Formats: sequence, structure tokens, C-alpha cells
Amino acid sequence: MPLIPKKIKLAAGNDSLAIEWSDGHTSVYPYRYLRDKCPCASCTGAEGPKAAAASPFPMLGVKPLKPDRAELVGRYALQIFWNDHHSTGIYSFAYLRECCPCGECAVRRPVENSAPGAA
Amino acid sequence: MKISPQDVLNALKAVHDPDLHRDIVSLGFVKDLEVGDSRVSFTIQLTTPACPVRDQLAAQARQVVAALGVADVQVRMTSQVMPPMREKNQLIPQVKNTVAVASGKGGVGKSTVAANLAVALQRTGAKVGLMDTDVYGPSVPMLMGGSTAPHVVEGKIEPPVEYGIKIISMAYFLPKDEAVIWRGPMLHKTIQQFLGEVRWGELDYLLMDMPPGTGDIQLSLSQTIPLTGAVIVSTPQDLALTVASKAIAMFQKLNVPILGIIENMSYYLCPQCGHREDIFGHGGARAAASKLGFPFLGEIPLDVNVRIQSDSGKPVALDDTTPHGKAFQEIAGALAAQISVVNYQVGPEITIE
Repeated sequence: MPLIPKKIKLAAGNDSLAIEWSDGHTSVYPYRYLRDKCPCASCTGAEGPKAAAASPFPMLGVKPLKPDRAELVGRYALQIFWNDHHSTGIYSFAYLRECCPCGECAVRRPVENSAPGAA
Repeated sequence: MKISPQDVLNALKAVHDPDLHRDIVSLGFVKDLEVGDSRVSFTIQLTTPACPVRDQLAAQARQVVAALGVADVQVRMTSQVMPPMREKNQLIPQVKNTVAVASGKGGVGKSTVAANLAVALQRTGAKVGLMDTDVYGPSVPMLMGGSTAPHVVEGKIEPPVEYGIKIISMAYFLPKDEAVIWRGPMLHKTIQQFLGEVRWGELDYLLMDMPPGTGDIQLSLSQTIPLTGAVIVSTPQDLALTVASKAIAMFQKLNVPILGIIENMSYYLCPQCGHREDIFGHGGARAAASKLGFPFLGEIPLDVNVRIQSDSGKPVALDDTTPHGKAFQEIAGALAAQISVVNYQVGPEITIE
């Protein structure tokens, strides 16, 4: 039986999404972290590097990022519809588990590539 | 001695479903139990009309109840196909099970196997649909002798029915010698329409004949609906099995359960002298299934009749007195049993709050 979520909470408090897994583990993903981890082609640079577009309407202020809703994709993934109208990222369960930000999971991950010169 | 309903149920607990590995009482198969003085009657409701051990279960049930000293034991057999426990199929809610028939490599006889499995399942009394997802090389209508075209009723496509099976295929929407020359997004749209815009109605099994490969169509299908599972068709040769393992890897990545492997063109029996020639080798798919830990559903020998009947739109499974018809009947039974197993296994429903 592959590892799958049992329960996905879109608004788990503190601007984060939480997943309870079939093995009992709970992952809590801050929205910003999850949005930065978006696996879609445009976010991962397949369409070339992109400068973050400044809002043409600065007077509106910055809306805090949050998911409007989410849908299951087949049996294997979650698609998140963000309130900034981005929704092309399909987060597979395996990927979500892989990037669980908790300390226990983080120590099992190889060190991420850091910028040259960074400690 | 007076026998109570509980005595009968206790006795029936000795009867196990060999696929689900549980007794028929705790599975909830025993219904309508009536206990009289010397007469006991009950119904066993199986999870598929194609159950391969139907007669065996009936005989066992009769035997254990008769052993209580009951002179007259009446066993009725019925079936109701189960949907997966975790049912989240919003696009086609009335379709209980969706099964992809895939291979990886082309030319191994996927479409022929899919068409014959559909016929074999239908002949057991199940409600069956057959969706030809091979948009570039649709072959199901020819295999099924389709002459009627789909028509639109109240904004939805009414699929043609051949041999009691609802069918949809790209072939219906194209003149015979036209080709579909499309990129991925159009394929995706087609798959979504084949699922959502076709009036499938209530179905026990919707079989999907897949194109070869691990690309757009396979991904679209796995993303659009939670597939019940996939069946892998392969010839025994190493080349086909190597590519089949790619299809298996894809379905595993997409969390689609592998229901089993079928070996097609398994061997050739010469009709002149009876000599058996293992043209593509033999037993490769069975060995691969056991190595990978998937059920081996059966083998179909290479035979000119299969080809002739396929080309003339009369699937061999229509006649289960022939060796090939029988082979397909047995494989359909094994497949239906695996579908029931998977449906009992699938994990808890995923809730999104």
C-alpha cells in the first residue's frame, strides 16, 4: 500500500496546510513554502527564468497567499488552486511527503543546493 | 434438534472466499437467511457475476449447512459488483469500476484482449462498457463489428451498443481513411469528453483500451478519474516484457493498482500436426508477474481464428465452448476477482477540508 494522505486540511492555522498520512505522520506546510515548491513547468523554470512581476496595482496592497481550494488528481496527487490564480502545480503525494518540512523528515533529506558563497 | 439462524451462520463461517481471504459471513455475502424445521435457504451475494469460484462456494456452503443435519438446503447465488470503498469518481459516478488495459509496447493484442474481456464479462451478466482511448489508432469498433454510429441526445453522446456492450471510439468520429494528427492538449480534451460527455449510464465495468506507451493519454486518464486498476497485456518475449515493465512503473507512480498480467500469443498449436511452437518464448509473462508480485491472470495462445474473428467483428469470447472463448472467460473471472480484492483493500477516503 503506497503512502497516501488520509486527511488534507487546507486551512490548518498559521497560514499553513496540513496532511495526515496513512502511516500516522502529520506534515504541516506553510503556504509560502508550498507555493515556492510548486512543481509546475512554469515555476520550475521549464519556460525560462522569470522575474517576479510587480503588481500593476500597488494601491491594492499584497493579498496574503492562501489556497482557495484543492482537488485530488486521480489517485496520486493534489492540485492546489491558489488565490493568486496559479493552479498548474500538481503535487504528487510522493513529492509532498518528500518535501515535508518537519525536522524529522528534513534530517533524512540531502542538503539542498545553496547559492554559491552561502555558508 | 432445532437449528437457529446463528448455527447456520457459524457453520457458513467455514466457507472462505479464496481471493478475499475472508469467510463469506464476515464479508457480508450471506443474505435472506430463512431457517425452518428441516429446511434452510439463503442467498450468497458475490462481488461479481464473473466469480471464478461461484460453483465451488455454493457447493461448500450447501455442504457445511447439510452437515448440521438439515435435509433441505437451498442456496441461491446472486451478485452485485462493488464500487471501490473509496469512491470519488465525480465525472462518471454510475460507473463502478474503471480498468485500463495497457501494455507499454504496441502490437501485443491489447485491443483484442480488451474487446474479448468486455464480451466475457458481459456474458456473465455484468453491465460493461468499452472505451477506445487509442485516439490515433482506434480499433475497437472494427473488433466489435460496430456499424451503428453514436448520436447526440440532449447534449450528450449516446454510445453504440454491440453485443450488449456500450462502446465509444475515435473511429466513430472520423471518415475511414482520415487520420488524427493532434498534439497532447487535444488528446486530453478527448479523454475528458469520452468520460464526461458520453452517456455511459450504470456500468459494473468500464474497460479502457489504451494506446501503447506511457504518454499523454495514460496520464490524462489517470489524472481525470481514480482508475480502479490496470491490466497489463504482454507477449512472452523479453522485448515486450521490458517495455511492459515501463507501463507498470508508470501506473505505480500514479498509484493505480496493477490488477494482473495477461500473456497473449502465448504459443502456437499447429492445426495440421498438433505441434506446439513457442514463437515468442513461453511463460515469460507468468515469470515476470511472479517476480514483480502481481497476479498472473492467464494466457491466450496464438491462433488464426482469433485473428479471423477479430477482423470480422465477432470476438472469440462470444462462444465459450471454444478453447479461446474459454480462456477469455477464465481470464475475465480472474480479473473480476482481482477487482473485488482491490476494492476491499483501498485505503481510507481522502478528505479535503
